[in-house]
Amino acid sequence: MAAAGFSSSSVNDLIPVTGWQARLQLGFQRRDQRTVLRQCTHQGPLQVQRPFYPEGETVCHVAILHPPGGVVGGDELRLDAQLDPNAHALLTTPAAGKFYRSAGPVARQTQRLTVGPGAALEWLPQENIVYNGARLHTLTRVDLQGDARLLSWEILCLGRPAAGEKWIAGECRQMLEIWRDGEPLYLEPGYLMGGDPVLKAAWGLQGQPVTATLLSAPVLPGMVDAVRAGWTAMTVGGEDVVAVTAIDGVLIGRYLGPSAACARHLFILAWSLLRPLLLNRPPCPSRFWTT
Amino acid sequence: MSISLSSLPRLLQLCSPTLPVGAFAWSQGLECAVDRGWVRDEASAGQWILGLLGHTQRRLDLPVFARLYAAWLNDDAATIRQWNARLYASREAAELQREDQQMGAALARLLTDLGIVEAEPWRTEPRGCFATSFSLAAAQWAIPLPEAATGYVWTWAENQIIAAARLIPLGQTAAQRLLSAAGPVITVTVAEALAITDEDIGASAPGLALAGALHETQYSRLFRS
Repeated sequence: MAAAGFSSSSVNDLIPVTGWQARLQLGFQRRDQRTVLRQCTHQGPLQVQRPFYPEGETVCHVAILHPPGGVVGGDELRLDAQLDPNAHALLTTPAAGKFYRSAGPVARQTQRLTVGPGAALEWLPQENIVYNGARLHTLTRVDLQGDARLLSWEILCLGRPAAGEKWIAGECRQMLEIWRDGEPLYLEPGYLMGGDPVLKAAWGLQGQPVTATLLSAPVLPGMVDAVRAGWTAMTVGGEDVVAVTAIDGVLIGRYLGPSAACARHLFILAWSLLRPLLLNRPPCPSRFWTT
Repeated sequence: MSISLSSLPRLLQLCSPTLPVGAFAWSQGLECAVDRGWVRDEASAGQWILGLLGHTQRRLDLPVFARLYAAWLNDDAATIRQWNARLYASREAAELQREDQQMGAALARLLTDLGIVEAEPWRTEPRGCFATSFSLAAAQWAIPLPEAATGYVWTWAENQIIAAARLIPLGQTAAQRLLSAAGPVITVTVAEALAITDEDIGASAPGLALAGALHETQYSRLFRS
């Protein structure tokens, strides 16, 4: 639990429920060389496919499904995942998350991911697409314990650029928090409102629809240079801005630009460079990322 | 309550550019923004600086500053540590974090030398923020919160405008026009910031975060951030 006054403690069910209430709880356990899904309980439309093992027993790959395919105002989606000591799981989603226009109620998506000592979590969901007029509050909080490791990304697309839909109205509050042993390492509180200067300002989104963050914790020697070199070698479009930095035990890679697909390509490349360094494993891309 | 004539000189001392915390060495991403053409003249400098005033300063720095100030008054060390940690973890690039830490530690050293014993552990705290040291001084010197918050954000804005004037460059009159424009924005920003609730604290600025990170590999640099 966050210390008093921290925003993550506010993500509770305070608003009367009008939409789907979905909850999924996952637990991963290391048994000998194998990571098993020891718990998988769900209420409402948030489920997983059967875990699969495309790279041997150690890493359990799980795809999280949301069968309705989109989130409307009033919906509440909650995922809790616990990785026991020395477990290794790769979580992804088979499709982009879609948040539809709301007449008023806020949609809530809360993801609490706890990673025990010696465990490794790869949290690599597809992008969230926020339709014009949507209202959403999301929280992704990762709690690392001891020497737990994390590779993750989150990609946000405002509006539907391909359909010519700009995001001019709505509310998108997207909180990303990485903690280790009860201390915050990195907090990224996205606060985007329709009409707010942040959408167009040079210090904000620069009029671009896609903003995305890639994270590695911890940061090991050579990581920042590896991602910089990889991204420099990759042709980046004229409007794309990318950068890599490392703060207090977290590598942060960022993308700002017109295309969620471009962000994903850049992040998959960075992930394939970081994975051998952090997890001592060659990349094994999810089959869902090619669609 | 407004500031007493005995506390006012202390506020002016705290806000003076001669305060030995090395503020002039940091541009907080502005050097990169100028290099990339995101900031290129007086108007775009105003949009950058006043825009961040209304966003990051209003939603993050100042509300945390207010909580730190209250916690110093209450001698509540645990709460001070929590809000300091949260502010530090909200800096979105290495140099932005280093700037905050180094200025915070420098001010803590100065305050210790001036006899404020509470500042002592913050001289060597690897994750201390400037707001933490500044709010301690304000609480110790009986500077009321609105004036202290105004002073905190004024020093930030003035330092940014001085950096912009060097980088673009701008003349002295243009810099004074920007400072004049900042005045009323600061007044509104402080009033709004002090009303923000815990749940609403925080505001990421992706362009600033990118500028802060890109500055690390910029070819030619005058500033340390």
